[in-house]
Amino acid sequence: MKIAGETTLSARRERVWALFNSPERLSKLIPGCEKLETLGPDEYAGTIVVGVAAVKGTYDGKLKIEDKRPPEHYRILVDGKGKQGFLKGAGTLDLAERDARTTLVKYAGDVQIGGPLIQVGQRMIDSAAKMMLGQFFAAADAELKAEVSGTVARQGFLINFWRYLVRLIRSAFGRK
Amino acid sequence: MYPASFEYHRAASVKDALAMLTRFGDDAKLLAGGHSLIPMMKLRLAQPAHLIDIGGIRDLAQIREDGGRIVIGGLATHHQVATSALVKGKLGMLAECAAMIGDVQVRNRGTIAGSLAHSDPAADYPAAILALEAEMLVEGSGGARTIKAEEFFIDLMTTAVQQGQILTHVSIAPIAAGVGGAYLKHRQPASGFATVGVAALVALGPDGQCKRVRVGITGLGPKAFRAKAVEAALTGKAPAAIKDAAALAADGIDALSDIHAAADFRSELARVYTRRALEQAVARAKA
Repeated sequence: MKIAGETTLSARRERVWALFNSPERLSKLIPGCEKLETLGPDEYAGTIVVGVAAVKGTYDGKLKIEDKRPPEHYRILVDGKGKQGFLKGAGTLDLAERDARTTLVKYAGDVQIGGPLIQVGQRMIDSAAKMMLGQFFAAADAELKAEVSGTVARQGFLINFWRYLVRLIRSAFGRK
Repeated sequence: MYPASFEYHRAASVKDALAMLTRFGDDAKLLAGGHSLIPMMKLRLAQPAHLIDIGGIRDLAQIREDGGRIVIGGLATHHQVATSALVKGKLGMLAECAAMIGDVQVRNRGTIAGSLAHSDPAADYPAAILALEAEMLVEGSGGARTIKAEEFFIDLMTTAVQQGQILTHVSIAPIAAGVGGAYLKHRQPASGFATVGVAALVALGPDGQCKRVRVGITGLGPKAFRAKAVEAALTGKAPAAIKDAAALAADGIDALSDIHAAADFRSELARVYTRRALEQAVARAKA
């Protein structure tokens, strides 16, 4: 299955790049993502629950980022498996500055899908992938907009402040 | 293929079924005709822990006239809709659409609410339901509500029916005199699904012009939709404008593409079948 498309996000390129390189933030935006852990530099392991109508399945997979050219390009390799099928593929992500506040995101990929899923789902997998990508980019855009309006930034400040406090208390009690 | 194990529950009433849906939450699926769910369970793509069989709620299989509208119970089978004297007499296009679904076995088991709630992108009913501007009656533990057809289909296999709710009835205003309807489809020979299906409804004015036009298209995109550009291009015009209006049928739609029909071919099918359905609807409006 080939996937290609583009979308515009409401933030300048550096901020979009930062978002797309943050597993903690991405895990909240990817539809059905239950876990996204860092295995090593640019290597991640994740669990995602994909559910379209009655079809529901848990997939475990690995992600690898290559050819990083901040803040405009990377290549992503995916290898995932679930009870209902497997998925293996690669894609590219390109960020172009549209203006000071918006970034054009171009994505392209080629994914092989196999297993029972493809038997019945063949005619719908394209649409399901597009739907999930649409949900992801809508969530990413909302996150970037919220960041601009300061809500997330404030939360970030609070979290940092809390961590600072925790560290302070811990060090006061001689723990690490 | 055998499905994964599940617990079977039989609901005696809608209230009973709603209580079970609340109790089992995300792990439960409703079973009506089972012609989409069971194949998915056999392939283990769907593995609900609880299956709530609503097939025994016979009240939901009635088709009746109520306050000038035709109210079709969610459990009415495609065969029932296709052969009901009431539907054939007052909603000819819907009967025509039901008669074209799948094969005899599917029509004998499959239900109208099952098909609509499942919302397969190639299902026939959604096109007709959109063109007829039907109202969907949905019941939940918090009460009942009515959803307009246009707001019902949200995305690929995603409808406005939420977790814990049941689509119980479909209510449709009868097709009036001077209004013609038609449903035409390009049939996928193996499955009987619509590669593309078009439902058209045209009201002709005394001057012979198209006063009101409704077009529903299924199979082309991830969900069935109203072809508003076609409707607008034909409204207020003589039927001679059908050809130009129908040319807009696939505009702005991200067409599906699979081994049976590539996106370009599907879009062309949509334009051709839109033209034919509109022509037939006009011919029937005159009759």
